[in-house]
Amino acid sequence: MSERNNTTIPEIATIEEIKDEIVEVKTFYLSFDGRKGGSPPEFKSGQFVMCTVFGAGEFAVSLPPSPENDRFHLTVRKVGKVTGALHDCAVGDKVGIRGPFGNGFPFDEIKGKNVVYVAGGIGLIPLRSSIMHVMQNKEKFGRILLFLGARTPQELMYQYNLKDWKATPGFETHVTIDNPVPGWDGETGFVHTLLKKKDVPVKDTVAFVCGPPVMFNAVIKELINIGIQEEHIISTLERHMKCGIGKCQHCSIGRTLVCTDGPVYTYRQIKTLGEQI
Amino acid sequence: MYIIKKGQVSRIAKELQKDYRMYGPVLEPETQQVMFTRVDDAADIDLGLPLPANPVKSAVFPHFERIMSYVYDRQDGKVDIKPDFDDAPKALFGIRPCDLTGILCLDRFFLGQEFVDEVYRNHRKNIFIVSQTCTEPFAQCFCVCTDSGPGAREGYDLNLTDLGGEYLVEAGSEKGKRLAEKLSLPKSDDSHMREKEKRIDRAVSLFGSIAKENKAWISRVVNRVTTGLIDEKVWEYIGSQCLECGACTYVCPTCSCFNIAEQGTGEDAADRMRTWDSCAYEGYSRMAGGHNPRKPVEDRRNKRFFCKLSYSQSKKYLRPGCVGCGRCAWVCPGDIGLPNVVTYIRREIQK
Repeated sequence: MSERNNTTIPEIATIEEIKDEIVEVKTFYLSFDGRKGGSPPEFKSGQFVMCTVFGAGEFAVSLPPSPENDRFHLTVRKVGKVTGALHDCAVGDKVGIRGPFGNGFPFDEIKGKNVVYVAGGIGLIPLRSSIMHVMQNKEKFGRILLFLGARTPQELMYQYNLKDWKATPGFETHVTIDNPVPGWDGETGFVHTLLKKKDVPVKDTVAFVCGPPVMFNAVIKELINIGIQEEHIISTLERHMKCGIGKCQHCSIGRTLVCTDGPVYTYRQIKTLGEQI
Repeated sequence: MYIIKKGQVSRIAKELQKDYRMYGPVLEPETQQVMFTRVDDAADIDLGLPLPANPVKSAVFPHFERIMSYVYDRQDGKVDIKPDFDDAPKALFGIRPCDLTGILCLDRFFLGQEFVDEVYRNHRKNIFIVSQTCTEPFAQCFCVCTDSGPGAREGYDLNLTDLGGEYLVEAGSEKGKRLAEKLSLPKSDDSHMREKEKRIDRAVSLFGSIAKENKAWISRVVNRVTTGLIDEKVWEYIGSQCLECGACTYVCPTCSCFNIAEQGTGEDAADRMRTWDSCAYEGYSRMAGGHNPRKPVEDRRNKRFFCKLSYSQSKKYLRPGCVGCGRCAWVCPGDIGLPNVVTYIRREIQK
């Protein structure tokens, strides 16, 4: 028997604050009604929850906050009926949360290594939790690099965090947008081209990659080109999900279920799943 | 073990009816089809009927059910959630060994993995199973290929075997034993057990002459399906015959994919419904925003047979996912019931 009591029936949370991130993407800060101080259930970086928007339905969403020292929040893009209904919610509204579910990032295995993050667009959302965790435990890791790509400067996620990250010593941030626009004096071009130009550590390096399929494939190719091994490339996958506990089977890829075996996989694992991503 | 006269077997059903909601095979008058369904009167159940058209799983995993309902009062900021789990005592009377094996697969899958499915656990809490030995196969049967018949070995509370003028009644649980004792059924002896074995042997020997429709030498293809070393053309051929109707998954005793959807009952109020789903449907893996990683029909067919026949999936059921009932071959408007798919794959291997 599982110990958690919210695997089937959601617990209630209140939206405390809503922040506009970029176009069609909002961050919802939540407090849990049934828990002391509104604090969330214990979770690991890289896990996800099932979020109920009352009257609309339920969707799976990754957890961007760090498990330590961070306000609990969900960052959600408006893509369909349920996420659209969440975007219509106001501060004070209630939502339901089941979870957390999934395996989480393998931090124990990557202690002492260099960490390279490569994110495309809103692919930064699921990686944020990992980035925050690594920043808060900097002494346990080697060099820390972030490569972030977006179509336009307006589509850069978590700009307020970016500012802090850029200012943090020992944290190398490289941001690029697809095409030059007036007022942008940073890098331009796709994010994978940036990897070639910059000094990326290869030995003892773990890369976290998340972004749309086209970007994902290009980045993987480039990372392998520069010599990073397939089992050291880590990504988190997304699937249509209904239950979150390995029963409804909608998230199956080959022999694994993304909700219980994933959502975090190494590229070596992803390659052997035998289905497209 | 016990004996009951053939004309008296309904005594068991009638006794069960006092405490359980009854399910069993009945002949539907309108369609003349055998259906496994809920009955109000245990006397309607007919043990002599052939395999029901629908699987027994609907008793523990209904086609359509409410798992919770909620009302959200946005003004007051109050959410009232009511879980709705069905834990009513149910008796499944006269089910065949293949269907019983299907239930055991579902048990292992829903209850035996990392998480326990609460909805299923409640359904399963208080179930009384009376299975019956198949003393003759039906035309579509191939349970001898899948090791799930013609006699049941485990999972029943009572098992009935037709010995001619009487039924041998075997108790498989304390619950079953108590019921048999309550009815003061006479004890059986060794000769009855020997007669049962004889009848099972006879049933197996009849597969060659009666169960001609399907053969599925599953053990020959498990390795190929698991490793994926099957020519893409075979899947394309199979996919080209799939009408994406989902019937095979609905009649399969072990298919357990479900969908969850809210059915509105008012403003910000809804019933959360759980319904059967099918990997044959295009929307099965389509995500919000439209990306569908499993769009081509052959990829979706590939998935179903991987689920039934691969070694990795067998680990979840502790046996292959096919129980040899032959229903998928019955209902498929194409020609890709599981036995045929096995044949296509074998043909390719032999080449």
